[in-house]
Amino acid sequence: MSDVVFTTTTTTTTTTTLAPTWDLVEATIAENFVRYLDSLGNLPGGQIILRYIKSSYKNDPIRSLFELALFIFALNYFLSSKKKENKSELVKFSQREIDELCDEWVPEPLIKELSDLEKWQMYSIPTIEGHNGSHVTINNKKVVNLASSDFLNLNESESVKEAAKSTISNTGVGACGPPNFYGTQDVHVRLEEDIAKYLDGENSILYGQDFVTAGSVIPAFLKRGDLCVVDSGVNFAIQKALIVSRCNIEWYDHNDMDHLEEILTEIKPVMDKQRPIRRRFIVTEGLFANSGDVVNLPRIIELKNKFKYRLFLDETLSIGVLGATGKGVVEHYGVPREEISITIGSMAMSFASSGGFCVGANPMVLHQRIQSIAYVFSASLPPYAAKVASQAIKEITSNLNADGSSVIVSQLQKKVTFAYEKLVSLSKSSKFFEVASGPHSPIIHLALNTQYREELNLPTLYGSPVFLSTGKPSKFLNEFDDYYNIESFLLQKVIDYVLDHSSTLISRSKLILEHENLPVLAPRLQIYINNGVTTEELSRLVQILPIAFNEVLKNVDSELKLISLNSEIGNYKPHYINY
Amino acid sequence: MARKERVLTANIPNAAPDDRPQEVLDELEYGKLSTKRYLYVSKHPVGEPLPTPIDDEPPYIIYLATYISYLILIIIGHIRDFFGKFFKPKEYADLIEKDGYAPWYDGFESFYVRRLKIRIDDCFARPIHGAPGRYVKCFNRIRHGKTGYLYDGTSNECLNLSSYNYLGFAQSNGVCTDYALGCVDDYGTSACSPRAISGTTDLHQKCERVIADFVGKEDAIIVSQGYGTNANLFSSIADSKTLVISDELNHASIRFGIRLSGASVKVFKHNDTKDLEKLIRNQIAQGQPKTHRPWKKIIIAVEGLYSMEGNMCNLPEIVEIKDKYKCYLFVDEAHSIGALGPGGRGICDYFSVDPARVDLLMGTFTKSFGATGGYIAGDKYLIEKMRTNYITQVYSESVPPAVMGQIISSLSVIEGTLNPGEGQERLQRIAFNSRYLRLGLKKLGFIVYGADDSPVIPVLLFLPAKMPAVSRMLYDMKIAVVIVSYPATPLISGRARLCVSAALTKEDLDYVLQKFNEVGDQIFLKFSSGIAGGSKVEGEPPRWAIEDVLATNVEDCKKPKLGYFN
Ligand SMILES: Cc1ncc(COP(=O)(O)O)c(C=O)c1O
Repeated sequence: MSDVVFTTTTTTTTTTTLAPTWDLVEATIAENFVRYLDSLGNLPGGQIILRYIKSSYKNDPIRSLFELALFIFALNYFLSSKKKENKSELVKFSQREIDELCDEWVPEPLIKELSDLEKWQMYSIPTIEGHNGSHVTINNKKVVNLASSDFLNLNESESVKEAAKSTISNTGVGACGPPNFYGTQDVHVRLEEDIAKYLDGENSILYGQDFVTAGSVIPAFLKRGDLCVVDSGVNFAIQKALIVSRCNIEWYDHNDMDHLEEILTEIKPVMDKQRPIRRRFIVTEGLFANSGDVVNLPRIIELKNKFKYRLFLDETLSIGVLGATGKGVVEHYGVPREEISITIGSMAMSFASSGGFCVGANPMVLHQRIQSIAYVFSASLPPYAAKVASQAIKEITSNLNADGSSVIVSQLQKKVTFAYEKLVSLSKSSKFFEVASGPHSPIIHLALNTQYREELNLPTLYGSPVFLSTGKPSKFLNEFDDYYNIESFLLQKVIDYVLDHSSTLISRSKLILEHENLPVLAPRLQIYINNGVTTEELSRLVQILPIAFNEVLKNVDSELKLISLNSEIGNYKPHYINY
Repeated sequence: MARKERVLTANIPNAAPDDRPQEVLDELEYGKLSTKRYLYVSKHPVGEPLPTPIDDEPPYIIYLATYISYLILIIIGHIRDFFGKFFKPKEYADLIEKDGYAPWYDGFESFYVRRLKIRIDDCFARPIHGAPGRYVKCFNRIRHGKTGYLYDGTSNECLNLSSYNYLGFAQSNGVCTDYALGCVDDYGTSACSPRAISGTTDLHQKCERVIADFVGKEDAIIVSQGYGTNANLFSSIADSKTLVISDELNHASIRFGIRLSGASVKVFKHNDTKDLEKLIRNQIAQGQPKTHRPWKKIIIAVEGLYSMEGNMCNLPEIVEIKDKYKCYLFVDEAHSIGALGPGGRGICDYFSVDPARVDLLMGTFTKSFGATGGYIAGDKYLIEKMRTNYITQVYSESVPPAVMGQIISSLSVIEGTLNPGEGQERLQRIAFNSRYLRLGLKKLGFIVYGADDSPVIPVLLFLPAKMPAVSRMLYDMKIAVVIVSYPATPLISGRARLCVSAALTKEDLDYVLQKFNEVGDQIFLKFSSGIAGGSKVEGEPPRWAIEDVLATNVEDCKKPKLGYFN
């Protein structure tokens, strides 16, 4: 049939040049055409099509032909588009050849075994014996725990435990179903109300795990063709979420508001012409996990309103920590929550529970209940965990100081300031380390001193710049990096030293370099300030740290010495008892 | 208790304390077994091929009616949208640009929700309270306005065929609960940190040991969410030069995980091992697109038991193919772990396949163990590497103590080290219950998908109007079921999905059969042709009277192949 059409269309094109014979040609086409149409009538359902074509043909035969041609073109297009990519590329093989190729094929192992240079990473994961909290047992020894993200130390609170236990005694442990299928309990609804109220949002939604929240919320709203302008220092969860959403990405330099404004101004003419308008977001973190910086929220809000962007804010680390009552960066700066279109956070940190959440306007939350895959395709949070988080919010908000600030949050903030100031002043006299995080971060980052790193010839950044420069992630994983490994190892030695000499557990930035899509900062020592730890204990840590750095680094004064550490790395023995 | 005046509220109320005696409450969460006759061992006869599950087809008229129904719904939806935008612009405020901001989502995206789902919204997300065991307590509610409900504080205690509770561990009293409570005392409520930082306790290590031993692997990693387990797994094992071959009906979490890893994906027809083999052969021969360099490795990703179809993967054949072509095999046992096999050890146990032949066994604790979370089990070297490069280990919260308490204790019950005998009973009850209900429904004339031993029983409804009808009628008869339709299933095969539990008694299932029988007659659901079994006389559509079904079903459901009498 397609042959017919193509020949007829070519005839029509010729007719335009031969005007005098126009009538003649038209008659022939029409005659042939009708013959084919009649045979169509024999097919089931053909009569209807026939009638349509005949009636339209009466008015305008050329139109019918044109429509038919279009139809065939569309059909052809759909059929070929499916196979196009394969067809042109496929090599033809006989079954025998395929057999041979299958026999010859030697796959790589499923996972490369840990190399001698990587094993220490596993051996250096601490094992806590028994209760986690501000004071824990490690290697049969009581130690102060400054590596826990339960900043307010609610994991040790009796009332929180009581909330967990009474709920378990009523509902069991698991929720046994996704939220949309009998997995939503009264305690979940209460928690959603509590979170919305606590954070001054309209509504909220719960997720079963904190890490999946960003990866599910962002793709629910950002699709191909949508745009987001992103801080180039965002955490791993957001990086992955952006990649999965396939939206267009513009990066601005980490926390650099002038650069953000520059970019927004630059793309404004294009955006102004866009019809229909696509969704546009500015994506950033409240308290940056990678750098310990606090976002410049007032400026961002000013810019987002000026250029009409929505704001996505990851408050995973800041909620429960910043602001007088722990409501995060929003309270820290005294701006209304309304300004933030989407806020996400974790309940596994300051709320001593598990899971993640998202807060914002009603239509945004309701949309997630049906379109956000980690919500739809996963079991609800265990009911007891919901109750625990509700109780934690109560602990934070019901016990207030005279000035209206939360007792536990302000205690924590004092400890953060105490440790931060001490460490800043100590770092001034140390050749080895400097404080890299901001004054409000409950995780104090200590980086190796810039000058010292230069002496050792260490790079400023690790990882791949491809994502930043092209907006598309590199197709390849980052290679194992000797320097990154050694630098991390040096910090581990500091951690081990501190644990052995002052019975305090601290940590370091643990990132999987292989997976990180953005350039990675040099490894840092991290001190997670905890409300259950006294200032005396913090002082003890502060005193030992310069000694520890000195002990570990005093002989590492050249790149050569640095590299020679590889033999020590290979011999690193498990530092913690395993069970 | 004085009868309080009922106040209607728009908020979901808090559950009133239940002051019935503990024995009564226990019985409502886990029914007592009345006789040992109601037990069965879930196991596939070794060497015998897996019978291809037959998906029975309804008469053409049903398909036609289904299409027309959707057509009408869609047309009316569009008409209402068209006029609505003129007359009730407020309701469409979320769908149009406002002050230079794009709407939150596109009208097209939400059409299905606004115009179809909303009509049967009351059948979804019924809020509950208490342990979703043998019975589930759903808050009564009435529709109020467009999207809201009013609650009067009472609840409807329904037989629970909706929760994932295969072995009946959704209990608020008993050894497992005690163990979980003990873990809260001894370890707290939160894991406090990612595993790699300071979130590893001796309890985590113990739990991983227990699960690795249970599934028969050298080592295991536990994760705080089943979805997250899959969603982040593939980044550790696959890259852009890896090919992942995935069953077309794999769970969203697997598909998301593969997408996240950047690996190439090819999809094979659901459970079609011929198609799988053909695909693998061609892919090995063709290699990577454009360059034609050989693939670094090929990973086959399947599920043990498919949660929407009730089908099992054909593990014996897949394992053969995988060995023949040197591929790696990942099996998601979310629904099969605990629920299948004589020891509850999942799909390998069921088919008597050595777990060593599957490279990565994944499963969740959500479905059979009354807990939450997931695991990856594999060879020691794999797991050790993953302790350093598995995303959830480093970036996400670790498993909280109470959940581990539930996992460890329920696994101990299954293995018989805690409350000896109870585990066996649970395993054999789920096996019996699954077969009993499935065969009963088949005999009555319903079209039921899936394998004989599968505890997931999809009953096909087809017409969109029948979905809310079934859900509401059964709800009024105190039976809670889940209805699923597009997009979770193909548009035309809307279904009610029954999840059988060991907590249900044979008498409960009889009640379910009776009520299904009534509903089936009333709204014309019995259109099976008999090709999938259940016929009294071979070749005739099965339409047994309910009395006959109940009289014969205990014996019949223990016959090796359900519903074939020869
Ligand atoms: C096959 C499969 N994998 C993974 C999951 C996710 O598990 P969870 O609900 O524990 O997040 C599910 C649950 O629905 C599933 O069916």
